[in-house]
Order: sequence, then C-alpha cells, then structure tokens
Amino acid sequence: MTPLLNAFACLLALACALFLWRKGSSPYRNGALLAGFLLLFSVFTYFGAAESLATDPALEHYPFRMLALCLCLSTASLPLYRRRYLVLAQVLWLWIELFGGIALYYRGFDVAWTRIAAVAGLAFGSTFLSRISREMEFCLMVLWLAVWVFF
Amino acid sequence: MGMDRREFIKSCSLVAMMGLLFGCRKVSLDALAAGEPGLAQFEEEVKLAISHAKRQFDLVKVARPGLLEIPGASSVNRFGMAIDLDLCDGCGKCILACNVENNVPLVPAEDAARGRFMHWIDMHGSAPFMCAHCGKAPCERVCPTGAANHTPDGLSAMMYKRCTGSRFCGANCPVQARKFNFNDARKLGLAHQFNKNIPLRDKGVMEKCSLCLHRLQDDRLKFKTSLTVGATAEEWRGRGVKTACSESCPKNAIIFGNWLDDESPLVQRTKNRVLYAPRELANLDPSVVFMRGRR
Amino acid sequence: MYRFLMLVGLVLFLPGACALGYSVFQGPSSWMTDARTFWGTPISLFVFWIGLAHAGTLISAIFLALDIKLDRRTALIAELSTLASLVIAAVFPLVHLGIVENFYMVAPLLDVRGIFANIRSPLVWDFCCIAVYAALSLLFFATHLKARRNPTLEKYCKPMAWLLFPLVLWVHTVVSLDFATTFVPEWRGAFFPVYFITGAIFSGLALVNLLLCAEGYRVRLLERLQLICSWILCAIWAWEFMLKGSFCASAFIFAGLLPQLRMVAFIRESKWGRMAISASVLLGLFLERQFLVSPEFGSPAMASFGWVDWGMLAFSAGTFMLVFFGMLLLLKRFMEVDGSYFGEVDGRDIAEVEEAEHKDSPVRLGVEKTKKGFYVHPWSSEEYHVLRLPLLLGIAFALLFSLWVWGRMPFENVDLSLANVIPLFYPVVALVTAVALYARAYFVEKAFALHRIEKILAASVLVLAGTCAGAFYAGGASERGAARDVLSENPENRDLPVQTWNARCATCHGSDGKFNEKFVREFYPVPQKLDLLRLDSLGEDSLVNVILKGRVNMNAYEGRLTYSDALGLVRYMRSLAEKEVANDSAP
Repeated sequence: MTPLLNAFACLLALACALFLWRKGSSPYRNGALLAGFLLLFSVFTYFGAAESLATDPALEHYPFRMLALCLCLSTASLPLYRRRYLVLAQVLWLWIELFGGIALYYRGFDVAWTRIAAVAGLAFGSTFLSRISREMEFCLMVLWLAVWVFF
Repeated sequence: MGMDRREFIKSCSLVAMMGLLFGCRKVSLDALAAGEPGLAQFEEEVKLAISHAKRQFDLVKVARPGLLEIPGASSVNRFGMAIDLDLCDGCGKCILACNVENNVPLVPAEDAARGRFMHWIDMHGSAPFMCAHCGKAPCERVCPTGAANHTPDGLSAMMYKRCTGSRFCGANCPVQARKFNFNDARKLGLAHQFNKNIPLRDKGVMEKCSLCLHRLQDDRLKFKTSLTVGATAEEWRGRGVKTACSESCPKNAIIFGNWLDDESPLVQRTKNRVLYAPRELANLDPSVVFMRGRR
Repeated sequence: MYRFLMLVGLVLFLPGACALGYSVFQGPSSWMTDARTFWGTPISLFVFWIGLAHAGTLISAIFLALDIKLDRRTALIAELSTLASLVIAAVFPLVHLGIVENFYMVAPLLDVRGIFANIRSPLVWDFCCIAVYAALSLLFFATHLKARRNPTLEKYCKPMAWLLFPLVLWVHTVVSLDFATTFVPEWRGAFFPVYFITGAIFSGLALVNLLLCAEGYRVRLLERLQLICSWILCAIWAWEFMLKGSFCASAFIFAGLLPQLRMVAFIRESKWGRMAISASVLLGLFLERQFLVSPEFGSPAMASFGWVDWGMLAFSAGTFMLVFFGMLLLLKRFMEVDGSYFGEVDGRDIAEVEEAEHKDSPVRLGVEKTKKGFYVHPWSSEEYHVLRLPLLLGIAFALLFSLWVWGRMPFENVDLSLANVIPLFYPVVALVTAVALYARAYFVEKAFALHRIEKILAASVLVLAGTCAGAFYAGGASERGAARDVLSENPENRDLPVQTWNARCATCHGSDGKFNEKFVREFYPVPQKLDLLRLDSLGEDSLVNVILKGRVNMNAYEGRLTYSDALGLVRYMRSLAEKEVANDSAP
C-alpha cells in the first residue's frame, strides 16, 4: 500500500465519518451505513492494493482499521455521551491493531509497537478529558490522522 | 454320545491344555486375529503411497542453513539433510527404510484408499519429502504442552508422552509433514516393532520424522564414553551417523550431516549447488533442503 | 412449558451422550476431521457455543455498564444462557483431545519436574481465558442473586460488569487467535478478532431472541440489533471473499439472507416467524463455523458427517435445554414475582424510554451532554473507587506472573516476545481483581452474609484453588541442600546406597535397575538401560560424574550427594545389574 493511498484512505474515512450519527437518524440507518462503509473500505483496499494483497498479510485488517478510524472521527458529531464513545472508539482501534499485530507476529511479521503505543496513549489520555471544546476536538482529529499516516 | 470315560477325560484334558496354552499367549487376541503384519505388507503400502503421490512442491531458492537463531543454540552442531533431485528417481526405498527403522504403522484400508498414510516420508511428485526441521518451526510455537520443541542441535523434537493430541501442530505445518495416530496400531494389528529400540506410539499422539534422533543419541553416548574423550578435548559432531533414509538410498540422493561441520558430507556435497525449499517453508529456516542443477 | 422443553432436551441429550462417550473412547477417528487441519466437529461446536456464551454476558454486562436498561427477564435469560453455553463449550475441547487424560498439561501450572505449558500457544491462552471467564461469570451471577437480600452488594454489580466487559471481548478474541495465528490458508485473517466477535454477538442475540419468543415476550431493541449485525457480518463475508475467495453459501443464505425477512411485517409480528428467523441465524452461523474449521468438508479426501457428529450436535442442544430450563425452573421458585432484579424498567420498549428522555433534555452541540444533570469522570466514578485497590493488585500480580513465566526453564531455548505473553495478561488481572474485590467485600466491609451451604461451597472452591497453588509451588526446582559426606558420618550403615537409590533414583530407574515404565511418563528418549555391559564400558568415574552433574532430563545431585555417596550408588547400581545378569542366565 503506497503512502499516497494510505493518506487517501484516511481522507476517505473522514469523508464517510460525516454521515454517521446524524441527528434523528435511526439505528437502522447507522447500522446500514457502518456495514456499507466496511464494504466500501474493503473494495478500496482490494483495488488499491491488488498486487500486494496476496503477499502482504498486513493488509488483511486494513478495512477494519479504516472503519475504526472512521468511528473515531465520527464521534465529533455526537450530541450525547461524546467522551464515552470517544474512548470506546479508540479502544476498538487499539483492539484491532493489537490483536491483528499479534496474529501477524505468528506469521512472521513484526508487531507495530509504536502505532499500538500511540493509540493506547491517546485512548488513555482521552479518559482524562473533562470538557471537549472545539479546539480539543480538532486536536484529537489531527492526532488520529497523524497516527494513521505516520505510524 | 458314544464316548467312554477314558476318551472323555482325554478330550477334557486336551481342552484344558489348549485353554492354558492359549491363556499364556503374549500376543493379544486382536493382534492374533489380525495377524502381525510382515515386511511384505509394508512394502505393498509403500508402493501404494508412491502411486498416490501428491503434487510436487513449488520450490524457491533458499540460503544455506547456518547457525540456528534461537537462544542457547549449539554453535557447532546443526543437523539437516539435503535431497538431490537430480539423482532421485522416486523408487521409494527411503520410505520403506524409514518405516522399518521407526516402527511406523500401517493404516486401515479406507485411509489408504484416500491416500492418507502414516509414513514419515511422503512422495511429492517424484521426490521424497519429510519434516524440514524448521529453525522457526510453526508447529513448535503452537503446541500447548511443549511436546513439540527444538533441540539446540537443530532437530525439531517430539516428546510422545507429553503430547495431549490437540493436533494444533499438525494444523499449523504449512506442508502437512506431521502424522496423527488416529488408530491404536498395536491393537488393530497394524504395527510391527521392527526396531526394538524405538517405542510404538500410543493412539492420539502426533509423530513425524525425527532425523533418526536415536542414532544420533547412541553416537553421542559412544563418543562421550570413549577412551579418547579427555585426550582430544573435541566436541561431538555426529560424524559418521547416517539416517535410515540416507543409508538406504541406492543413488545416494539423500545426504545427512551437520551444516556447521566443514568435514560433514552434507556441507561438502552442497558446496557448489543451489539449495531449494518449498515456498511455504522458505521463510521458516528449514534444515532439510533440496538440490537441483549446478551453480 | 419448561418441563416440555426439558423433555425435548432430554430426548436430544441421551443419544447425544452416547455419541459423546463413544467419541471419547474411540478418539478423533470417530468424528469428522479435516484432512489438512486435523480439526473437526468438536472444535466447530466449541467455537459456536463459546460465542453464544459470550453474547449472553455481553448483552447484560454491556447494557448495564452503558446505562441501557434491560428488563429483568431479558437480563436473566442472557445470563443463564451464558452459563449454560459455557458448560457445553467447556466439554468440547476435552473431547477434541487425542489423549483426554493429558488435558492438564495445557494448564499454565508447573509440574513436579518444572515443566510448564507452552505460553506461546493460543490453546494455553484459551484455557486460561475461558477458566477465568467462567469463574467471573459465576461470581457476577451470584452477586446479582445475593444482592436481593444484601443491598450493600449492589455497588459491586457495576464494577464487576466493567471488569467483565473487556474480558468477554478478550476471551473471544483469543479464541479467534486460535485460527488467525496459523498458516492454514483458509484461516488467514488479522481481522479475525472482529469477525468472530461480530459472529458471537449475532448468534447470541439470535439465541436470546429465540428464548424470549419461547417465553412469549419480545424486545424490539434486540431484534433490531440482530438485523444490523447481519448486515455487518455480510460486509465481513464480502471482505473474506475478496481476500481469500472462500464463501460459504449455506451460511450466507441462513444467516445473511433469511434474517432480512424481518423487514416483512407479517413475519416480524408472528411469534413463529421470529423464532424461525432466529433459528435460521443459529443454523447459518453453525454451518459457517463448520466451514471455517474444516475447509475440506465435502471433498473426497474426507470422511463425511457421521452419526457421532450428529450425536455431538444433539448432545449440545439437549444439554443446553436441560441446563437452561432447569435453572429457570429452579430460579422461578426462589424469585419473587415483582422483585427488582438486574436493573430494569417496567418492560416498555427500551427505545421509547430513551426517546422520551432525549426529548426532555435540551441539546447543546459541541459540549458533552450528560444524563442526570452532571458528568461523572471515569476516574472519579463510584465504580472506579470500588475497583481501585483490587485492580492495582491484579495488575501487579499479572506483571509478576508474566515475568516469572518468562524465566521458566522450558523457555530457555525459545525466543519469547511480548506478543506471546500479552494475551494472558488481562485474564490474570481480572481474576485477581475479582478475588480481591470479593475478599474485601466479605471480610472488610461485611457486605454480605453466607448461608451454611454457600460457606461449604466457598470452602471447597478455596481447597481446589489451594490444590492448584500447591501444584504451582511444588513445581519449583528442588532446593540444593548442603552436601554432607553421609557415608563417612555413618560408616556402619551399609544400606545407605540402597536407601538413597530407593529414595532418589528408583522413581525413574526402578528399584531393580530396569527403568520404571509407569513413572517415566513425560520424557522420550527413556533413560538408558543400566545393564552390566553398558555400566562396565562407561566406567565408575563417568557414572559418578553423571550423577553429580546431571544429564538431559536428570537433575544434578552435586550439592546433595558427595563423591563417595555417588560412588556408593554406582556400585549398588552395578550390583543390581549383576543380579540382573544372574537372573537372566538362570533358567
């Protein structure tokens, strides 16, 4: 997966995050959107990295990582319980990274410890947030995108 | 009945004697009924196995095996084999020799018909393939009890008594080199203990090529207790040991030796050759490799 | 109604138990195993039932922790289905083993020779995680039952739910790692944790919905979640197909297409329609597990589904019905009709209640909106105050345990990494935290009282735990005492070598010098034969060295025996070998 496509992936995740958890949306709409986004990300990974999909097992959980990033970014538009779901979304991302990494370790790949540590640090730090102002929200989003692109 | 007293007593004592003799038998009834298999049956099965030969592996180039990358690895011994595909003609004598040396059991007819044998060496294409004793063995890391482990000498060892039969190792071998004892071979009369020094395995344990560990052990013991030990301060290098398969190959296509010993026939005969391994094992540091063509 | 269902369960259970007994007796050749992976029906049943076990706790614990209120009957059904499924799921890994009596070797306990289970193996993680999960689930359930009589115990419900929430996800993740860490092409999947958890939640929701239908109730929230789960699972299946080309048509039809029929009104409103949908989901997910575990299913290289496999299926279904409805019957007798239970509302549809609460309060964008008027910071919440000290104890213990395991002898030749030990971390934390929590609750705060039967039960559990701990400790390497020249201290005692031999050596080498086959269980190759020829060729000196310095699988006796002691032993050994020769040559 080229760095360009990697960056494009996080833009795609950001774009999709706009549609989730809109005010007055039914759980059906949100659920269908989640499933649809997963499908979209799968198709993106499949066509974006077609040549290396068979040889690079690290791409196996790429759509799921994109989905986790999308969920993290989508918490910006939540009206209720924002801190709680923020932490939960980051824990989901941490989960996917950690256990995906362990599975890949057994197939001979190094675990991306820096990425896992970064996400874990962000998740832990978010539990201390007392009030998420607009600036703090923006800062969080930038941090997530930075972790995605640089780690 | 028409039998007088004397004949009656005679027949009774005859029956009693037969009962006693029968009861004194050391062989179980089942084995007696099934009959202990003879060498001919093993030869038949090897021929059947060759006819069921699986597809040849995808071979890729590998580097020559060197020091093992595990902590505590020996710096002087790493045992392995090289199979010369140019010399091998797929005769199958290695399979028979291995079966006889290690008391590998026969399999019931249904399994044989499906091409599933207990042989430690399988024919792939026309080349023999056995456990490659990978340095980064996938089977060893998933065995829950630690029955599959690695010796410092480079052998992927199997402790039968520590095996609980979870078959995780068998699932994780990328080339299915391991065999599982689905049946109690002794009870079904499918096993013959050709080699009295090797135990017959219980039902429920996994087994695979052991690189004739017992021959290496005996040689090591002889070396350690020989009169020259104190005098020469040498280490044991396993020189002169041959596995059963390498011994039996009429074309000398299977070479056993010590990858870290320059005097070993393995090192000498692989000096100018390109080494190959199945694609699935290439990244796992196999100790058993193939050779083909000249450099 | 319950009795009838229990009868059905019994009818399924009896032949199923026969099949199970036969499969344990005959071993893995009696059921359908895959030609390549050697795994088969017991494992697919295990994964299926452990998924159901997790979903029950997920539903009740997550909803409790996230302040979503479920009514009493649903929460009770979820909890009970967890416990019943756990019982069944625990049986199948034992059945799967080739040598069932060696199952204890998978537990991360030392044995008397210092041998430890292989901590790198996902099966060992499995064992720990499921054991801890079972223990904590029982504690959680028991807390709820006792909280009726001891209201001070109420404050322990939420902390336990918070402890159980990650544990549930962790356990099913570890089960998925059983597959994801292998090289089997069909099991390739760094995304397996999410895949398995989604499947588990889906099947659990289906089971709870099915049981609710059987009771004559319905919870629309759970049905909606079931439908949404089916969409997500279909998306995951699409990715599986793109990645590996594997696609299980029957699973897709039963668990992917048929549940969409819920959108048809007349099916949704009829009890039998809803039951059919839930049953279809369960069937589809079982087929999907079967397809995953045995990728060669259907090919000529494999045996087909036989009577033992059907029997195991029947056994699992029958046991579930017996245990579940039996427990319901038992509890109904002790349950008051309108007593408060698992944190509940009066049975109105949950979504309506939430909607009403949402409408009442003003919405302010960009700022956290809280229920009940103020935001409770996680680190100053009541649950965290309760959990603080036990959690600290748990983390400390888990760290020490990991470090201790890392230093064990079997791992001297093995490249251990953090990734091998992490999956064991949280279950240990959870176990120690829960034990510390309840110990404090009982002894320090006297939050609840125990009846005599409960005291006996607790005492027997403690005895069992003590036995395990004893096995742990007893496995420590034997201490080296100070070497005393015992022979010179007791020159008259000619029997000392004999006594030493019988005390120390006979367990492996036999009191007559031939090795003791019954005791030498765990090592191959077996000890060398101590016959006269070999002893003479080795010589006394080297034999004494072997005793003092040790060998492969034999401890060094250097600190415990002196040279003359060892020499006495060697001479005794030789006399045994001579006796052996004399016996052999005698007619």
